[in-house]
Amino acid sequence: MIAFGCSITSPDMYREAAEKGINLVAEPDSVVMANAAAGSLMRSYNLIMNKVAEMDGVEALVLCHQDAELTSPDFCSIVREALKDPDVGVVGCVGALDVRNIAWWEGSVTWGSFTHRYKEYGGGQIDAFTFTNENHPGYARTGEVDTLDGFIMVIAPWTIQNIRFDESLGQLHGYDYDFCLQVREAGKKVMTADFKAVHHHSLELISDEFVWIEAHKRVAEKWLGRMPPAGLPNWGAADYDWKGRALQAEAEAGAERLTRVSIQMKAEAQARRHKAEMEEVTNSTSWRYTRPLRLLARELRRLRAARGGRNGGHPEAPGSAPANLQAPPTPSAARPARPTVSRASESTALDRGEG
Amino acid sequence: MIAFGVAVTRSEDYDRWAGPGIDRAREPNSAVYANSSPGSIFRAYNLLLDEAAEHGDLEALVLLHQDVEIVDEDLCGKVRAVFADPDVAIAGCVGARDARTMAWWEGAVTWASFTHRYYEHGGGILPAFSSSPETDQLPAYARLGEVDTIDGFIMALSPWAVRNLRFDETLGQFHGYDFDICMQARAAGRNVVTADLKVWHHHSLELMPDPETWIEANIRLTEKWESLDGSAGGEDWKARARRAEAQASAFNVLKISANMLAAARERELLAELDSIRNSASWRYTAPIRRLAAKARARRSRPG
Repeated sequence: MIAFGCSITSPDMYREAAEKGINLVAEPDSVVMANAAAGSLMRSYNLIMNKVAEMDGVEALVLCHQDAELTSPDFCSIVREALKDPDVGVVGCVGALDVRNIAWWEGSVTWGSFTHRYKEYGGGQIDAFTFTNENHPGYARTGEVDTLDGFIMVIAPWTIQNIRFDESLGQLHGYDYDFCLQVREAGKKVMTADFKAVHHHSLELISDEFVWIEAHKRVAEKWLGRMPPAGLPNWGAADYDWKGRALQAEAEAGAERLTRVSIQMKAEAQARRHKAEMEEVTNSTSWRYTRPLRLLARELRRLRAARGGRNGGHPEAPGSAPANLQAPPTPSAARPARPTVSRASESTALDRGEG
Repeated sequence: MIAFGVAVTRSEDYDRWAGPGIDRAREPNSAVYANSSPGSIFRAYNLLLDEAAEHGDLEALVLLHQDVEIVDEDLCGKVRAVFADPDVAIAGCVGARDARTMAWWEGAVTWASFTHRYYEHGGGILPAFSSSPETDQLPAYARLGEVDTIDGFIMALSPWAVRNLRFDETLGQFHGYDFDICMQARAAGRNVVTADLKVWHHHSLELMPDPETWIEANIRLTEKWESLDGSAGGEDWKARARRAEAQASAFNVLKISANMLAAARERELLAELDSIRNSASWRYTAPIRRLAAKARARRSRPG
């Protein structure tokens, strides 16, 4: 029996995403444990695992975020196939090698068969590099990884009985990386498999960077020296060269912040250009003179829709863009400038409070 | 006499921006040094300091990047007013307090009277928060005066600074020369201040073209000044490392998020524009617009 578990803080989101996916893939005998969140995600997941551990005939426990929607109708078969090897402890649809901290995407990502669906700016989706079955990059492969993204984790029976999420780490961040490290430390494997999912998530990837930073520190502290390369910096310093690590990381943080400001400024410039183009069109004589025709057409569409005809305003199909969660490389150019320290009302350039 | 100095790596930039700006601001007796840049900006600026130092009547040396255009006809008057205080060594139009590294924008910025002019996406401007104090209300934190460091794209140096300070050529090629010279001035007991100098910075929106070099320079500068202020031995480097590594990762995610937001916004705007351009009324009226364009072109033709 394959069980499903979810920790819910937003019943609406659960209905929209996780429940829909579970209903699609669950088998008649599947148990679904949809619990209200009990404190931290770690604690909530442990509660689910404890309950499932008491059940007989469990083949796997699938832990889903409430905003994760499983979309492979043959999901259970894929899971059974992946767990045929008794050494496999946990399986996911996104994973990476050489992961050194909770930011798994800074490792070498080998698989990502999900799409990120967002609602901002009219909505859309960004496919990870193996979400579709075509055009996989050369580095794409399922198999053993260091860690998974925890938005969907398939837990093997041995793991259900023997491993628990570390509730001392915080509320949410880093639970997946820590869990995978525990599984690997126990001699079991962490694997990716080709099942598809939709992650319904805002484009704001971190809502509270300070909480995330604290989790990063705690997990690094826990694992340094225990499961190499966990806890090491991304650039390969000696484990305990703290001064070197501090100086490098402080500089990297400064560079990352400035790059973000640059991206925001470019986005603002693009938006301004589009606005100018739009104004050129909408202020043109032909556009203004044909306005009555457009109003008439809109009214006709409305009337047809009211009569039970086709809905005139069906939503635009979401587009797609490459999304391997790696920022595009910074193009090389001449000497740098500093961020524009903007007026407080302009949010695009360096905002003194957060830029 | 107020002198001007520029290290030129692209003559066309100097001819288009720095040169005309200097012509706008200079006084009849001003010396102008436009030198080709022989190596690092540190070395190029030291040559300019050496040349300016030979003038016995030097009141100030204004060093500016080749892509900086002075748009302030009263720049010399403002520079003179600033250096009326003999304790002032360096002045600039952007400055911050509590600047702990060469990333001065992570400190508390108190003044920024420049406008960033870019040429991507059809071009545009991004005025800094105190670029027009005459017409726009300044934010509460805007004030002129003493700062820890200034941005070096334009910096005015007092005669004392010209004769007693030198850019540290061991630090690299470009980054951090401004932070370092300000630290030197302050270590010598002099002040670094902001002044309401109006300039345009003609620059790409790409602010970090070579992060690796920038990171190296930041490390060297932090090491230099932390070892000099005597606190290096007492630092909890492990705590700093843990925090900074986490911050770097967090800022990396925020950068990815900014990229995704930008792409989503772009897609929405393009869809909006496409929906208009593909509408029946826009397509059916295309011949009229073509005719109108031809008529306009004929009217504008000379003769």
